[in-house]
Amino acid sequence: MTSAVAAPPVRRGRFWRKVRRHPVGVAAFAVLCLLYLTVIAGPLLYPVSPEATDPLNILAAPGGAHPLGTDELGRDITARLIYGGRISLSVGLLSMLVGLTLGLVVGGTAGYFRGRVEGVLMRLVDVFMAIPSFFLLLVIVTVFGSHPLTIIVTVGLGFWAQMARVVYAEFSSYRGRDFIEAMHSLGASHLRIMVRHILPQVVPQAVVLATLGVGWAILSEAALSYIGLGIQPPLASWGNMLQNAQAYLYVNPMLAIYPGLCIAVAVLVFNLTGNALRDILDPRA
Amino acid sequence: MTRKLYSTVSFFLLMGVFGTAHAQTADFDPDATLTLATNADPTLNPWTPGAVVESNLINTLVFDQLVRYDKEDLTPAPALASSWEVAEDGLSWTFTLRDDVTWQDGEPFTADDVAFTFNDVVLVEELAANNGSSFGPVEAVEVINPTTVRFVLSEPFSSLPYYLAYYAGILPEHLLGDAENPLSVASFNKQTPVGTGAFQVAEFVPGSYVRLERNPSYWGGEPKVAGVVFSIVPDPNTQLAQVLAGELDMVTVSDPALLAGVANNPNLEIVEQSQNVYYFVALNQNDPRFQDVRVRQALLYAINRPAIIDSVLKGYGEIATGPIAPLQQALYESDVPNYPFDPEKAKELLAEAGWTPGPDGILAKDGVPLTIEMPTGQFGYLVPATLLVQQYWKDIGVQADVQVLEWNAYIQQMFVNRQYEATLAWWSTPPTPDVSPYYASSAAEAGQNIPGYKNAELDEIMAAGRGATSEEAQIETYREMQEFLARELPYLYLWYPDIVTVRNVRIEGMLDINNPAAFQYASEWYVALTP
Amino acid sequence: MGVFVFRRLLQGILVLLLVSAFTFFLVNLAPGGPSAAVSLERTAAEREALYRQYGLDKPVAVRYMQWLSGVVRGDLGTSLTQGLPVSGLLWQRLGNTLQLALTALVLTALLGVTLGVVAAVTQNRLPDHLISSVATLGMSVPGFWLGIVSIILFSVKLGWLPSSGVASVGQSFSLLDRAQHLVMPASVLAFTLLPNVVRVARSAMLEVLSSDYVRTAKAKGLPNRAVLLKHTFKNALVPVIAILGLITTVLFSGSVVIESVFSWPGLGRLAIEAANGRDYPVILGVTLVAGTIVVVVNLLVDVLYAAVDPRISYD
Repeated sequence: MTSAVAAPPVRRGRFWRKVRRHPVGVAAFAVLCLLYLTVIAGPLLYPVSPEATDPLNILAAPGGAHPLGTDELGRDITARLIYGGRISLSVGLLSMLVGLTLGLVVGGTAGYFRGRVEGVLMRLVDVFMAIPSFFLLLVIVTVFGSHPLTIIVTVGLGFWAQMARVVYAEFSSYRGRDFIEAMHSLGASHLRIMVRHILPQVVPQAVVLATLGVGWAILSEAALSYIGLGIQPPLASWGNMLQNAQAYLYVNPMLAIYPGLCIAVAVLVFNLTGNALRDILDPRA
Repeated sequence: MTRKLYSTVSFFLLMGVFGTAHAQTADFDPDATLTLATNADPTLNPWTPGAVVESNLINTLVFDQLVRYDKEDLTPAPALASSWEVAEDGLSWTFTLRDDVTWQDGEPFTADDVAFTFNDVVLVEELAANNGSSFGPVEAVEVINPTTVRFVLSEPFSSLPYYLAYYAGILPEHLLGDAENPLSVASFNKQTPVGTGAFQVAEFVPGSYVRLERNPSYWGGEPKVAGVVFSIVPDPNTQLAQVLAGELDMVTVSDPALLAGVANNPNLEIVEQSQNVYYFVALNQNDPRFQDVRVRQALLYAINRPAIIDSVLKGYGEIATGPIAPLQQALYESDVPNYPFDPEKAKELLAEAGWTPGPDGILAKDGVPLTIEMPTGQFGYLVPATLLVQQYWKDIGVQADVQVLEWNAYIQQMFVNRQYEATLAWWSTPPTPDVSPYYASSAAEAGQNIPGYKNAELDEIMAAGRGATSEEAQIETYREMQEFLARELPYLYLWYPDIVTVRNVRIEGMLDINNPAAFQYASEWYVALTP
Repeated sequence: MGVFVFRRLLQGILVLLLVSAFTFFLVNLAPGGPSAAVSLERTAAEREALYRQYGLDKPVAVRYMQWLSGVVRGDLGTSLTQGLPVSGLLWQRLGNTLQLALTALVLTALLGVTLGVVAAVTQNRLPDHLISSVATLGMSVPGFWLGIVSIILFSVKLGWLPSSGVASVGQSFSLLDRAQHLVMPASVLAFTLLPNVVRVARSAMLEVLSSDYVRTAKAKGLPNRAVLLKHTFKNALVPVIAILGLITTVLFSGSVVIESVFSWPGLGRLAIEAANGRDYPVILGVTLVAGTIVVVVNLLVDVLYAAVDPRISYD
C-alpha cells in the first residue's frame, strides 16, 4: 500500500500507552489466549474421548455425562469441540505461518534485489494470485488427500501471494533509499540489511495481515470441510463438525450452532486483535 | 381463516375415507406437472458410460425396455417384448415384440432397433456401455422378423430377463445407427433423445433442469400427467429443503438422518422401498489373517448391527443374511447361519484362531497386533457406519485405522488397486439370484469380487444356478448358495437398507414397491383434481 | 500507458500458461480417474477401454501439448462426463456466475464504500462502532453456514424466497422471478465480502482525512463538505479499487461454496463437479477462465489506479 516514511522505533512506554487505549483489542487478545489455553489444556481437565462412538446414545440432550450432549454417532460434543478446536486453531495458526514465511521470503527477496529476481518471483506471485485460491485448495486437496499437513500447507499457499505483494511493496520502497546504499557500502551484507534494517519496518503490516490471516485460514478449513475436502473424521475439526451437523439442522440445530459459534468467536477475536494491532503498531497514530 | 382451515381438514378426511375410490375414477388434472430432482446433469442415453444415478430414472421415463418389473413382486414382466421363451438347452431366448410401438419422432419400432442396441452398442467392448459386462453370455441378437428377436448365448443365462429389466433401454437405430460411437452423440444425449417411453424430452437446460412432456401416442396409454421436470440440485440438504418448501414433489433420501425435518409435514409422506441392496464389510482375502473363516465370523459377531441400523439408518433397514434380499420372495432364504451381536463369542473365535490379548489390550498373534487398514469414502453414510464398526472392533481388541478418502480416490484405492485390508461398502444389483459377478473366482482380480474370495465349490453352485431350467432346481441351488455364503462369509453381511423416498401426497398412482418399477409405470401417475 | 498495458497483457498470457501447466500436471497426479471409468460398476477391461476412448493411455506431457495446441486453435476439448464441448459448458456457467458475482460485487461496492465512509467520518462515535462491529462479525461467520441458515429461514420457514436455482422451472422468462432467485445467494455472498470493503474504505478515508493536503485545504477555509467530496473521496478510492480487485478473486472462490449451497449452476459448481468426477478438460477450462478473469481484472485495477490517482504512473 502506501510506503511509510522510515519511522522512529516505537518506544516501549508509548506502546503500552497505546495498548491501553484499545480495551476491546485487549479483551479479544485475552479471549484468544483463553481459547488456545482451553484446547491445549482442555483434554487434561476434561478427559473424555472425542472419538468414542455410542450408537445407543445418539443425539443425547445436554446434561449428565455429556454437558453439551452427543452428536449423531453418540460422541461427546464437548470433547469434540475441544479436540476440534485443537485442529482448527492449529490449522489456522500454522497455515498463517506457512503463508507468512513464504510471503516474507519471496516478497522480501523480490523487493530487495529487483531486476531478474524480481521478475521471476513476482510472476510466480502473479500465477498464484491468478488462481482463485479456493480452486487451488480444491485441486491440491483432491490430489494429495486431506492429511492435516496438506491442509495446512495448502491453506497457507492460498494466502502467501497476497502477503508477498505487501512485503514486496515495502521492501522495494526502501531499496532505493540512501541509508541502504550507505550501509551496503559500509560492508553490511544483503541479508543483514534485509533482516536487521528493513524487516522491522515491515513488521507492523505483516503482523496485522498475519493476524487477520489466521481467521481467514480457519474459515477456509471450514469451507473445505463443507464440500467434504477438509480435515477428515475420525479427527474432529470445527469445520467438519459443522458439515456433519448440516443433516440435523431441523432436529438438532445446536449441533451446528456450537462449532459455528466457535469458528465465529475464534475468527472474531483474531480480527479484533488484528484491528487493534493495526492502530497500535501504526507509527503515525 | 377458520373456513379455509375447515375445508383443508375436510379435504384430508375425504382423501382418507375415499382414497381408494378416488384413485379409480379418471378424476385427475390433465395439466399437472411433477417436479422431481436429480443430483447432476443427466446423460440421456441409458448405456453411455457415466450415465448413472443422476440419469437412470429420467432414462427410464424416456426409454422403454424389452422387459420391466412386475408391479407386485418385481419379477420380469412384459414391456416392449410381449412374451418370451427360452430354448430347451438354455442357449437361446426368443422375444416377441409389440407391433404397436412408435418412436417419439413417429418412426415405427422394430426388431432391428433391438438388434442394433445389443449388437452395435451393448456387446461392443470398446464402447464400454453401462452394465455391458452383465450381458457377457450373450453372443449376438438375431432378427427373426420385424417383431421377433433371438438372443444367442454362449452358456445358459437364466437371469437374462432380469438384466433386460435393469436400466436396459432400447435405442433407435434410425437415429444412432450411423454414428461412429452411438453412445457419445451429443445432440442425442444432451438435447433431444428419442425413445419409446411415456415421456419425451422437451427442454434440457444444462445445470438447471430437464423438462419432459407426455408422449401422447404412448403404447401403454396416454400418460395422465402433462409433464415431469427434473430439477438439477446437487446438495441433498437443499433437495430436502425444496421438498419441504413444496418446490419439489419427490426426493430420494440417501441418508436417513436427513429425514428428521420431514416427519411433521402433512403434505409429505415417507415411502420405504426395497431394492436388492446390501451393505457389507469386505475383508481382503489376499491377507492371510482373513482367510481364516473364524476371524471373519468373529469380526461379524463383534458388530452390533441392530444398533447401527437404529442410529445411522434411523431404523430404515434390516439385518442382511446374504446377497439375496428379502424382496426376492421366492428365493430369499432366512434360515441360514446368523451372527447376533456377541463380543464374547467373537473373542473366543479369535482366540481359537490364535489371536490373544496383548499387553496394550490389542489382540496379537506371534507378537503381531491385529490392526486393520480400513479406508472409506465420502458417500452416503459410509463414514459414520465405518466409524461405528471401528468402535465395535476396538471393544474386542481389534484396531481398525480408518482413513477417509474423497469418493473417487477411494474407488481407485479400494476397488481398482485393491489396496485395503477391510472396507465397508454396498452392492446394488438387479433382483436376480445370480450373484456370480461379485463372487466368482474369475472376478477376483479384475471384476467386482471386491474381497477377492475364491472358492471352487461356490463357483460350481453359481454355475448350476445359471444353468437351472426349472424353478425348483433354481430355488434349491440358490438356497444352498445362501447357506454356503452365510457360513463362509466372503463378505460380512451388514444390512439391507430401505430406500427412503419423500413424496408429496398430491402424487398418486405411483407404485410404492421401488423407484425403478414406479418409473416404468409412469404413464399411470396422476394428480387428483382438487375440488 | 499503451506500452504498459501491452506488457502486462503479455505477462498475463505467460501467467496463464504457467497456471495451466501447473494445474494439468497436478490434476493428473490425483488418484482416481474419470468417474465413468472409476466406479464400482466397472470391470478392469471396461475401464481400460474407456481410458483408450478418452485418450488417457498417452503420457501426461503428450496430452498437455495436445490440449495446448487445441487451446491455441480455440478448442478446449470435450468434457469426459458430459460429452459436450468444454467451451460451451464454460459459457453457460460463466454467464450464471457473472450474474451472481457482479450483483454481489455491486452490492458490496455500494454498501461497503458508503458504510466505510460513514464510519470514517463518524470516527470513534456510535455509527462507526456499530458499522465496525457488524463488519467484523460478518467477517467471522462462515458464508456457507449463513447460506444454509437463510434457506431454512427464508425458504422453508417463511416461504418468501426460492431456495435454489437461477429461475423457476418450466416458466417463461421473468425478470422478477430471476431477481427472486438471485436475492439470497447474492446477499450472502455480498455479506461475506462486505467487511473487507468497509474496513479498507474506512481506513483509506481516515488516512486521507488526516493527510496534509486535506488539512491544508481545511486551513484555507474551504467548507467541510466540499473538502470531503472533492479531495478525500477521490484519493480514498485508490485502495478501495485495489481491494475490489482482490475481491474479484475471492468472489470466484467464494462462489464455489455459495453456488453449492444454492444449487447455482455456475463455474464454481462446475469446478467441484469436475474435480469430483476427474473431468480433466473441464477442470482445466475452469482454471483457465477464472485465471483470465483475474488477470484482466488486475490489469483493469492498475489502469484505474492511474486514472484516479495522479501520483501513480506507469511510464
